[in-house]
Amino acid sequence: MLGKLIKHEFKHSARYVTAIYACTAAVLLVMLFALLVKITWLSIAASIVLYFAGILVVVMTLVSVIKNFYDTLYTNQGYLSFTLPVKCGNLLASKVIVSFVWIILSVIALAVIYFIVYQNALAQTDGEIGTILDMLKESGVLDMLPSGAAIAKLLVLIVVLLLLAILTFVGFVYFSVTLANTRLLQKHPKIFGFLIFFGSYAAANSIGAKLTYSLPMSFSVTGDGLKFAFASMESSESVFSFGIGGTIFMALVAVAMLFATGWIMEHKVNIK
Amino acid sequence: MSKIINVSELKKSYGSKEVLKGVDFSCESGQIVGLLGPNGCGKTTLIKILTGLIKDHSGMVRIDNEEPGAYTKSIIAYLPEKSYLPDWMRPCDALDYFADFYKDFDRNKAEKMIDKFGLDMKQRLKTMSKGQQEKLRLALVLCRRAKLYILDEPLGGVDPAARSHILELIIENHEEDSTVLISTHLISDVEYIFDRVLMINNGQVVIDAHVNEIKDKGKTVEEVFKEVFSYAW
Repeated sequence: MLGKLIKHEFKHSARYVTAIYACTAAVLLVMLFALLVKITWLSIAASIVLYFAGILVVVMTLVSVIKNFYDTLYTNQGYLSFTLPVKCGNLLASKVIVSFVWIILSVIALAVIYFIVYQNALAQTDGEIGTILDMLKESGVLDMLPSGAAIAKLLVLIVVLLLLAILTFVGFVYFSVTLANTRLLQKHPKIFGFLIFFGSYAAANSIGAKLTYSLPMSFSVTGDGLKFAFASMESSESVFSFGIGGTIFMALVAVAMLFATGWIMEHKVNIK
Repeated sequence: MSKIINVSELKKSYGSKEVLKGVDFSCESGQIVGLLGPNGCGKTTLIKILTGLIKDHSGMVRIDNEEPGAYTKSIIAYLPEKSYLPDWMRPCDALDYFADFYKDFDRNKAEKMIDKFGLDMKQRLKTMSKGQQEKLRLALVLCRRAKLYILDEPLGGVDPAARSHILELIIENHEEDSTVLISTHLISDVEYIFDRVLMINNGQVVIDAHVNEIKDKGKTVEEVFKEVFSYAW
């Protein structure tokens, strides 16, 4: 059943995000066309639009994740979702998985868009940016940066942290929306959902920030590579050092919130 | 006959307002049961509890000897009063959805019924009239071979001419050994199909009788209803 839930969840949620992807793709085509026929002003204009479209793709995806969750469970469509012969845990899992995929896709889309915009800028400036990079290289500034291998490892770590950040976002949002739709709060679900999300997120974040600095778990980027140490960020001597205690704490809180969301859906749901 | 619904001491409150105050009743398989009562008497709340849409209640609820959950949802075909299909859906999408989740859904029968209703398989719900949407929802529910059909105000949004047609559809299409629980306030239109009626008032079952018992007393269901709820007029 989980597979079928995921299939229909994709079908349903795709409606929210396909429009923004289609618009972005159209602008991209305009930019490529302008590059081909060498219409400079159009190419630059398309680049600027693409720059903002990249951000919009991510923002719209996050909004659609929230809207889709609320619409399918806590509006009239909840009569359909909550009477399906599936456990609420499966219903929630399908939504978490699909949201994860959409958000990751939007981040990938953002990276691809910015790479294309950068390439376009390179083409427009006839390699001026490349010259600047060459100058930086000659001046030795780039030698201060970590090695390629270290940067590769750092990128892997950033991806892992990004996945944890997405999990955190989804966990906090789903919990807030669900709690705001229990009997006591459901008269004003949007207001309470908003308050619960920002309240809980701010509280958890302030604890997470302290843990990031004080917990003895951190990564340091050195010339040799990426190193994990059971040392706090405060005590590290490296310039490129960051603690991961806060991120792990936030992800654990998000997982706990997802379990709480499943429990509320199973035991306290009250469809209007 | 086995009992498909068994409810005992069922209570449900919204804040300080007690909507169900200890409801007791049971339904045997193979009956068409009318769930009757004035607005706000707790009919829809009771139905939501039976279908698993409301969980925070007290008392015992058993559907086919199970607590409301994934199994009971698989044997209940529920027609809510509200329009619950997303408006981007087309009848063909709705059929895909039901065919995927309900093993007892008869897709061929649904296609024929939708065709009979004159609905376009590719037309989006948002461009359909209320009546067309209601027909689609009815087809989806009646084309399941469910053990229990729960229909909340199935005649509410249709014109008087279509009501008898819908009732015929319900009689013709529900499984023979299944139970049909119909909540309605249009008693005169629908009472001839009932085997039994449950009348709810102030959160309690005040009448639980076979229609034959009522007829033997020389009365109609509507007359009994008016006697019981005369204060409401």
